[in-house]
Amino acid sequence: MAADLAVADLAELRRPVRGRVTVAAGLQALAAALAVTPAVVLVEIARRLLNGSGQPVWPLAWVAVGLLVARFALYASASLLSHLADADLAYLLRRRLTDQLSALPLSWFAGGVSAQVRTTAQDDVATLHHAVAHARGDLAAAVAGPAVVVGYLLWVDWSLALVTVALVGAAQAIRMRLKVRATDEVGRVAAAGAELTAAVLETVRGISVVKAFAGGRGAPRFTAAAAEYVDADERAQRIFVRPRAVARATVAPATVVCAVTAAGTGLVAAGWSDPVNLVAFALLGVGLFEQLTPIYLAQDLRVRSRTAARRIGDLLREPRQATVEPARARAVGEPLTVEFDDVHFGYQDAHRVLRGVTATLAPGTVTALVGPSGAGKSTLAMLLARFADVGEGAIRLGGADLRDIDRDDLYRHVGFLLQDVVLLRRSIRDNIALADPAATEDAVRAAARAAAVDDRILALPRGYDSVAGEDAHLSGGEAQRVAIARTLLAGTPIVVLDEATAFADPDSEAAIQDALAALAAGRTLLVIAHRLYTITEADQILVLDDGRLVERGRHDELLAADGRYAQLWHAQQGGRP
Amino acid sequence: MTGRLGALLPAGQRRPLVRYLAAVAGYAVGEGVAFGVLVPLLTALLEGRAADAAWWLIPLTAAAGAGWVAHYYMGSGSLRLSSAWRADLYARVGDQLLTLPLGWFDGPRAGQVPQLIIGDVTRVAHTVFLAQALISAVLTPATIAVFLLGFDWRVGLAALLAVPVVLVALSVGRRLTERTEAAHHAATAEAGSRLVEFAGAQPTLRATGQTAAGRAALDEALAGQHRAARREILGSLPGEYLGELGIQLAFTALLLTGLGLATHDQLGPARMIALVVLGISLLRPLDAIVGLGGALRATQASAQRIEELLAVAPLPEPAAGPRIGHAGIELVDARFAYPGGPEVLTGVTLTIPAGRTTALVGASGSGKTTVTKLIARFHDVDSGSVRVGGVDVRELTSGELLGHLALVFQDVYLFDGTVEDNIRFGNPDATPEQVRDAARRAQVDSIVARLPDGWASRVGEGGRLLSGGERQRVAIARALCKDAPIVLLDEATASLDTENEAAVHAALAELAAHRTVLVIAHRLDTIIRADQIAVLDGGRVVECGPHAELLARDGRYAAFWRERGRARGWRLLGGGKAPVGKELTGREPAHQASP
Repeated sequence: MAADLAVADLAELRRPVRGRVTVAAGLQALAAALAVTPAVVLVEIARRLLNGSGQPVWPLAWVAVGLLVARFALYASASLLSHLADADLAYLLRRRLTDQLSALPLSWFAGGVSAQVRTTAQDDVATLHHAVAHARGDLAAAVAGPAVVVGYLLWVDWSLALVTVALVGAAQAIRMRLKVRATDEVGRVAAAGAELTAAVLETVRGISVVKAFAGGRGAPRFTAAAAEYVDADERAQRIFVRPRAVARATVAPATVVCAVTAAGTGLVAAGWSDPVNLVAFALLGVGLFEQLTPIYLAQDLRVRSRTAARRIGDLLREPRQATVEPARARAVGEPLTVEFDDVHFGYQDAHRVLRGVTATLAPGTVTALVGPSGAGKSTLAMLLARFADVGEGAIRLGGADLRDIDRDDLYRHVGFLLQDVVLLRRSIRDNIALADPAATEDAVRAAARAAAVDDRILALPRGYDSVAGEDAHLSGGEAQRVAIARTLLAGTPIVVLDEATAFADPDSEAAIQDALAALAAGRTLLVIAHRLYTITEADQILVLDDGRLVERGRHDELLAADGRYAQLWHAQQGGRP
Repeated sequence: MTGRLGALLPAGQRRPLVRYLAAVAGYAVGEGVAFGVLVPLLTALLEGRAADAAWWLIPLTAAAGAGWVAHYYMGSGSLRLSSAWRADLYARVGDQLLTLPLGWFDGPRAGQVPQLIIGDVTRVAHTVFLAQALISAVLTPATIAVFLLGFDWRVGLAALLAVPVVLVALSVGRRLTERTEAAHHAATAEAGSRLVEFAGAQPTLRATGQTAAGRAALDEALAGQHRAARREILGSLPGEYLGELGIQLAFTALLLTGLGLATHDQLGPARMIALVVLGISLLRPLDAIVGLGGALRATQASAQRIEELLAVAPLPEPAAGPRIGHAGIELVDARFAYPGGPEVLTGVTLTIPAGRTTALVGASGSGKTTVTKLIARFHDVDSGSVRVGGVDVRELTSGELLGHLALVFQDVYLFDGTVEDNIRFGNPDATPEQVRDAARRAQVDSIVARLPDGWASRVGEGGRLLSGGERQRVAIARALCKDAPIVLLDEATASLDTENEAAVHAALAELAAHRTVLVIAHRLDTIIRADQIAVLDGGRVVECGPHAELLARDGRYAAFWRERGRARGWRLLGGGKAPVGKELTGREPAHQASP
């Protein structure tokens, strides 16, 4: 089932260039068939020269040269055609994948998918290279070439042809059987290789522990893994030594020449064969085995291509976030009130995270989300930023359901600082002016000043023109303040914020707080709060527990109620030594 | 090339390797001889002298038979050699990893080590197989060429015409390919990094409300990659086909020369046919050389990477050195710069008394981490000195120095084993009771109680099955189990949940008792409780003393304290009102600041 899907994926992905690849395979097969030309011509020349009939030989030579030029042209154009098709397909697939990434819900990106995206869009697409540019052509050539050779040899002298085919067939049979026998050992080698990789990673990443704690005792896991890997590999290879040597020796040029000439000499002596025939066998019998090699290698390459195609197909099948047609999109109304209306949410594994949360955020107020980890605070905040859509119920902004608002329009109203800060590899100015590339220098500077990061940016080698990650190396707290400046400039009236990511860098905590104060002014704020003392002045505190809203109110009211919030408050105060 | 690979050869394997290479060479020459013998054989047959031809079957059979023996011998010999070579390289690289300066692992090269171990070592060990293919591809045609020139120099020259053409084609092709290949490689790297950026920045890009504009950089990079790929295909075309063309040219010359000689009665027709057959046999293996060039270049690059790793000099240390007398540490006018970077420490002088806790504070980038790394000798100072127990660290053996230190850094690394394995790693000779005791004191027993398999639960690669606070507690237990007199500690900055924060604090208090502790402190109460506080600024210690004394001095530390105090009392105000910071004074301990 999974394998079928992979095969279907490969066929589907390859479809846009199928025509070009098929033509290229045809050309390559033709070129392979023409490879017999020198031998055929030489045999014919020999025949004419030796039987003394005086038939002209020069035209034959010129035909041979002409056919070789034609073969060369066929071969080159087949290669050019299929490789260009491969490059075009890779580009097409990468753009398709980019489109898909733009359409996936933001929740898909949570938890670090960068490595996966790179693997799929770069490495897996590159792995298709063999399937697209080579598989068909090589196979067509590996069939057409030997078929023409064997056909010609049978026509020249069937008995000698059978001797040749027997030798080559025996060697090919041995190597195909070895492949089957290898499966178990290959598994062990692969496992040993994986363990070695893990051991190396561990040794490198944990080197200070290895050295500080293990003294001079070496890295035992690495030593053991390396020994096992060498041993597994050697044992796997050892099985092959004898049969492989037999296979290679069987089709070694000396063996083939010896067998063919010995049999041929006998046949000639008995008068059953023309000595000229031997020329054909001496030339064509030797290369026959190598022509079959692509068939031998194809299996592994096919499996690799299919695995890659499957991963690309899986990414393309990920469900996209529902979008609203521009004509049916609803405008965000006034006042800009946020309403959570009986919001339910669960992940695919049926784990219910939110079970009916109803709340209202009035414009210009600060609302804090509080509760033990796993209570659903982050999920509720992320739903407002539309990282995912509600399961049941609705979230409305200015009266319009989030799902009915055009995406760009939504994010002109809702900004968020939820995950680790990302600075794009562009100038700091462009990073701040991301939402409004036309912003003036003054507006950018003003945002940076309000976010308490202007001085730091001016101290960079090229000031605001410094490029993040190239000549602008900012600390976590500094990057955080650039992100706050970006959100300030974007001017979204509603901001969703996670306190934990805001305060990841204690050394610049005070500066970040100044930036956040600027951000909070005049906006609607939804804050995921971890340290309760920072939100004692909030307009509204929502206490979540196990996906439900259990309490709401201001700090003093909730303390007086002596419920869940009071419990959390006392635990946190008591827990501080 | 041989010089570079030769340096990596395992010491005991030189003679077997030479024997093996000699056998390969012998086999390749034998193959050539078999083709050479074919000429008189074919000539005799074509001229109708079958009995004469039969005699020539004897040497031909001998050559073929020798080939069978050689194939078996080469198969087992190459396997033995490559396995031995590989084992030797693993051992040398493994030993080298343990002698490299710890600072090397902070650098960019460390990330390449897995690739080096898995890919490069295998490639270098496979030189044995590569040599077999290469020697065959060169010596067999060379032998045939000798025969051909001996039989008829004119036909021989016509066939050898291919050699210079193929060589020129190879070098021209390589030069053309190298440029377009490098450009494609660079464009692919750029597209890859733009792609990672695009995926990682999806929330950020969408938040700007400019979906299309956010894609511009990626679209441009992908289009650039496509252009470079097409250029590489066109660029590699001459390289790929000039060689082929040269071979076909030689065939044409061979055929026409033979025909010319035969029609002018310079050469008997039977002889001519036999010589052309030999000439074509000479040309066939030349194809293989084209393919081997790429493999050879890759092997050379691998060998170079391994050699560079093995050539990194360890920090010099004596074979036997003095013992560490006490647990105090002194830095005297220590200066240090990372290679190619500005000076990070511009003269640090600091005395860290034995059995006491010293807190290092300062802005990010002030050199706090560098100070701890110099004490553990990740690097050596550029000038000045670092002394542990009264002895310069450069005079100590690494065993002696590291035996006295326990490192608890922020990026705690746990090994993929059980919780117990990880704690025991601190002291392999510890009794089960000692391990449990260390675990209890570091509050690890409550983690174990929660895990499905208790003490036998595995922690995952790098400890990722535990939370950050839990990993830190295991690392503290490891340090407790080791019972080293000096602890270098980098306090976690990430916010911990309430339960973990309390547990980590208790564990740290346990670790600090009776030990010399140098802590890069982030929490206010860690700082306030230290016996002395050293303030780093601009790469030097600007103030040093206990909390109250430094506050009274009203200098750098007092400013730092006020700033942090303002942060501590900060709260977010509702209704868009401006927030106010509640200032702390030195007499008001941090934990009382919260209402």
